[in-house]
Amino acid sequence: MDDKTERKKTERAGLAISRREFLKYSGIVVIGVGFGGCGNPNGVAASKGYLLVDTKKCQGCQTCMLACSLVHEGFESLSLARIQIVQNPFNTFPDDINIAQCRQCVAPACLAACPVGALHVDKFHGNVRTVNKRKCIGCKSCITACPFAPARPIWNFQEVYAQKCDLCASSVFWNEQGGPGGKQACVTVCPMKAIQFTAEIPVQLGDEGYNVNLRDKTWGLLGYTTE
Amino acid sequence: MNGYAGKILRINLSTRERSTLDTKDYEQWGGGHGIGSAIFFDLVKDKSIDGFDPANVVTIMTSPLTGTMALGASARTELQGIGVQSYPIGWFTRSGLGGRFGVMLKLAGWDGVAIEGKADQPVWIDIRDGDVQIRDCNELTLWGKDTWESQKAIWNYVAGSGHYGTWYNPRSGSDARTTQQPAVLCIGPAGENLCRVASIIHDAGNASGQGGFGGVWGSKNLKAISVIGTGNIAVAHPKALFEARIWAIENFTFPLNTFDASKAMWATMPSNLRSFPSPLVTWERPKQSRPQACMGCQAGCRSRYNPPLGNDSSCKESYYYSPSQLKVPPSGETPDPQKQAADLAQKYGINVAELETGILYLRDLYKMGVLGQGKQIDCDLPFDKLGGNEFIEQLMEMIAYRKGIGDDMAEGFTRAAERWGRLDEDQKTGLLNNCYWGLGMHYDPRGSLEWGYGSILGDRDINEHGFSPLAMIPTLTSEKPVSAEDFVKIFSEKMPPFEDDPLMLDYSDGNMYSEHMCKLVAWHRHYSRFWIQSALFCDFQYPDFFNWAAKDYKGITGEGEPKFYHAVTGKNLSFAESIELGRKIWTLDNAIWTLQGRHRDMVQFADYIYDKLNTVKFVMPVNENGQWVYNPVGGRLIDRAQFEEFKTRYYTLEGWDTESGWPKRSTLEALGLKSVADELESKEKLGKE
Repeated sequence: MDDKTERKKTERAGLAISRREFLKYSGIVVIGVGFGGCGNPNGVAASKGYLLVDTKKCQGCQTCMLACSLVHEGFESLSLARIQIVQNPFNTFPDDINIAQCRQCVAPACLAACPVGALHVDKFHGNVRTVNKRKCIGCKSCITACPFAPARPIWNFQEVYAQKCDLCASSVFWNEQGGPGGKQACVTVCPMKAIQFTAEIPVQLGDEGYNVNLRDKTWGLLGYTTE
Repeated sequence: MNGYAGKILRINLSTRERSTLDTKDYEQWGGGHGIGSAIFFDLVKDKSIDGFDPANVVTIMTSPLTGTMALGASARTELQGIGVQSYPIGWFTRSGLGGRFGVMLKLAGWDGVAIEGKADQPVWIDIRDGDVQIRDCNELTLWGKDTWESQKAIWNYVAGSGHYGTWYNPRSGSDARTTQQPAVLCIGPAGENLCRVASIIHDAGNASGQGGFGGVWGSKNLKAISVIGTGNIAVAHPKALFEARIWAIENFTFPLNTFDASKAMWATMPSNLRSFPSPLVTWERPKQSRPQACMGCQAGCRSRYNPPLGNDSSCKESYYYSPSQLKVPPSGETPDPQKQAADLAQKYGINVAELETGILYLRDLYKMGVLGQGKQIDCDLPFDKLGGNEFIEQLMEMIAYRKGIGDDMAEGFTRAAERWGRLDEDQKTGLLNNCYWGLGMHYDPRGSLEWGYGSILGDRDINEHGFSPLAMIPTLTSEKPVSAEDFVKIFSEKMPPFEDDPLMLDYSDGNMYSEHMCKLVAWHRHYSRFWIQSALFCDFQYPDFFNWAAKDYKGITGEGEPKFYHAVTGKNLSFAESIELGRKIWTLDNAIWTLQGRHRDMVQFADYIYDKLNTVKFVMPVNENGQWVYNPVGGRLIDRAQFEEFKTRYYTLEGWDTESGWPKRSTLEALGLKSVADELESKEKLGKE
């Protein structure tokens, strides 16, 4: 399948990732699963925190994006938000919304691709995968290497370096302690409670480990599916 | 001012010239509507022109709070200009919409857009950050497409070789990137055909309906404005903004995980800071659906479905063609005509507020034998299929393309009635239920006094629900949460500078025309002009007086709005000052209406409001012999002579000439509007001192 056909197929499917992207992604996570929580062959320690989302529960308000940029940058931005909500109002539920949060991969392709060690495991903040912007040379290798669409490392085109979700470890414009041991702005503000923090390593294969069912009895009482 | 980018895009479609206005020059107005009115005043030299005149200026304004975490104030966009829908004159008017357009506009670096002139052929405006292009519609064959197909075509064009859901660069040669689709304001066939009832649509179900701005855009040959922004919105105090939001959620909303059916109704009603996502739809909602919210909102008021019928539609769109509204049995057709009707209104770009009373009017004329095949008003609408898909599809097509009597209906049902020679009679009987400025009744002026007076003293159905809880809560509760006196106090103490006069909230027959009632109407106009239409807090959530989730039921209003405004802008605007700023904006609007030709003699409801008793009664707080009690209110009419006395009192309170209703120089100058007074004087329209 050529790129054009592949893209058309992806576009027809709305926001789903392409078959090629899926295969790329699956290959990576199989390696990750193989090494469970012990890290990958390169000795990268697993993160002590992950974000789970429920795309069926999301109401598309993008408050998580506003919160993310606010606490990290001190201003509001969608392009610099480290979690991305993409929606198409003409699509059919549940394919009308996609949530793209960083998976803090057990075997992070972004980290492996960084030629200068700027994208690193932050052992002071629960092994979260993050970018040292002073080291970043702006080569975008991490963004290219990320197997997911959209890429989870964010290109800060305004200051010319890569950045990514650090579970709010560097949320300098917030009065809360962030990071795996603290709070996360997106989790805190999500009105639907459609984003959740977990310390347990999600199943790496496929999407099911990260896109989970957070709909409880209350959700059912509101008249929405809990299945 | 933080929150704003600092510049407003000005586009002359006639010359295709693009320029900028400095936001700082208009900062004193606080945002949104205030700035829009001021720009209109400056740019439109002859305010007496028709809305279809190329010299008409349409402003599209954001607020400093747009695109921020300010609760309930992130998503609204305010459109203004001379409208074409109201009767007998298309007043300078407004119409807001939600979604994400305003956010994108600010992220692109623009606080608003001012459109003037008329393009020589159909065009659309393509805004990508600071890059603004006026493009002909031919390339995408946009003209003729419905609003949804137009938006999709524009999305594909802007994406270029990229595609949404992944990072792409909307500007060639720039590294700026986004995953988002452009936000598009768009007209459909109704707008293209200059229907006075045409709306402007954004995404699936955000509509700027009132005023007929869809038709105004059509007259300018303007099909759409698309904007994609990759920039930032500056916030003065980021930490304070975040904390303010959490404070608001924790203190004024019910936690989502403690859903209580007995509270749910209250937590989703307008105006009450909303707690739960609860789409305001009257159709049966399938479980396979989600709530859907405007940008930054905590409780979505519409849904997306499987199958995707009725996506993002709510409120009037959902019930104007419902069996209960039409009083017909459900058709049982697939797709559901009720949802189909909502989608058709969005796609054709037709204002459902007009259809809501209009379809009932058609039905009644048909039953009377006046309208139908071969009748006095000849049309082949299949009334035996009212409530079904065939009827609504045919009706929409007739209006949008001006087919048959659709050409009359496209003018709005008041003008249609005039063409049919029925206006006087049907406004006397109320058969045509359009009561203020030829527009459909929303809340009944005979009962909901602040709504009716506010609408007729202004330019349109105000569509502001701030005082609706005064009737809804006592009517719908068997056991009242507080005494009538305490209930009133919760409202009045949040209403500076009139906080010491609770009698303004007495809806009894004896208080309908009093000076107290004038204060309620004035306060409502002033609050709304600033906080709802300029700072752009959502009317479905603000003002929040009586709040079931709050301590002592005291809502966020008065404290919350200035807190968010300060956190974003850095400005210390007190609540009392904001109400005064609202008064200034309201007075400027009245000056514009005056220059359009308004006189107090024109400020009249349709005849049936004076001549026929309304039938609906609400339980409301009333003051009897000095004691506050809950009593049924309604079953009454507006008395013509006493309404005239009310207007005199109201104009006095506002500092307007009681003889003409025109603003006085002393009032204008006290508000810092000397230039407005000068223009009124030059046109011999200045009120007498």
